Amino acid sequence: MQTKRRHEGYVLIDNRESPGVTPSFVQQSGQKGQSVPAVGEGKVLEASTITCAHCQRGVILNPQRSHDREWCSKCDHYLCDNCGLIKKVDGQCRNLNQLFDRLQERAMHVRS
Amino acid sequence: MSRWSVNVPTWTPVAVADTTNFTDAGHMSLQGGSTTQRINVIEVYMGGQAGASSPTIMLLARHSTVGVTLSVGRLAALDPATAALAAPMVVFNTSTTKPQRSATLSLLNLSFNAFGGIVRWVYSPGEEVGLLGSTASLGELGLSAFTGGTPGLMGSHMIIEPF
Repeated sequence: MQTKRRHEGYVLIDNRESPGVTPSFVQQSGQKGQSVPAVGEGKVLEASTITCAHCQRGVILNPQRSHDREWCSKCDHYLCDNCGLIKKVDGQCRNLNQLFDRLQERAMHVRS
Repeated sequence: MSRWSVNVPTWTPVAVADTTNFTDAGHMSLQGGSTTQRINVIEVYMGGQAGASSPTIMLLARHSTVGVTLSVGRLAALDPATAALAAPMVVFNTSTTKPQRSATLSLLNLSFNAFGGIVRWVYSPGEEVGLLGSTASLGELGLSAFTGGTPGLMGSHMIIEPF
């Protein structure tokens, strides 16, 4: 039986031999709502990740999160919070891999 | 299809803002080999090689301007029985037209300390980041440093699968 865990990737941040980064530095590096955990000196982080099926951004799963992860039932994949909100508004599935499939097929037809 | 490793053994990222020309040898970029080639990125790895503390804001991001006239970098098939590609993808860090990082299409924020830090991101099968073609904004992506921090010497690779 397949579970949602099959969608999970893996991230390793290994600072066992490194000063690591501070929480303030990580906040400074936040990009468009993305954030990464601050892994300090001598620490190691291993965590599960997901890829948003609509924008393909990577998300590190926070085990302390209390509300549900966004999910697209049309393409059967996880979404990031931003894409989840957009899908709630318009209900459309914008799976990027499916878009790639269509574009690639169209390009092949044009060439042949 | 077969899996390939693209890598730059040692380089120092040069921090640039979004939609600003990259500096030669200050980024690691991957461009599709043809207009219809599809590539999945399976793994991204960065290992710090700096000799002093170097907190570095690294991004894996799509490029809104793609490189032109590329100096081809290291590309190796993981399986020795892999057939050569008719249109191999290109890993590069030097070009005449410099790539620019998209302001909106950053995929991973991999901030780390290049003084001994290690970051390894592995995508689950079926959940990989994809590239299509060789033009902006879906045909090229790369590792580059965002402004801030003090980028330090590092080595990096990506495991990719073209099809």
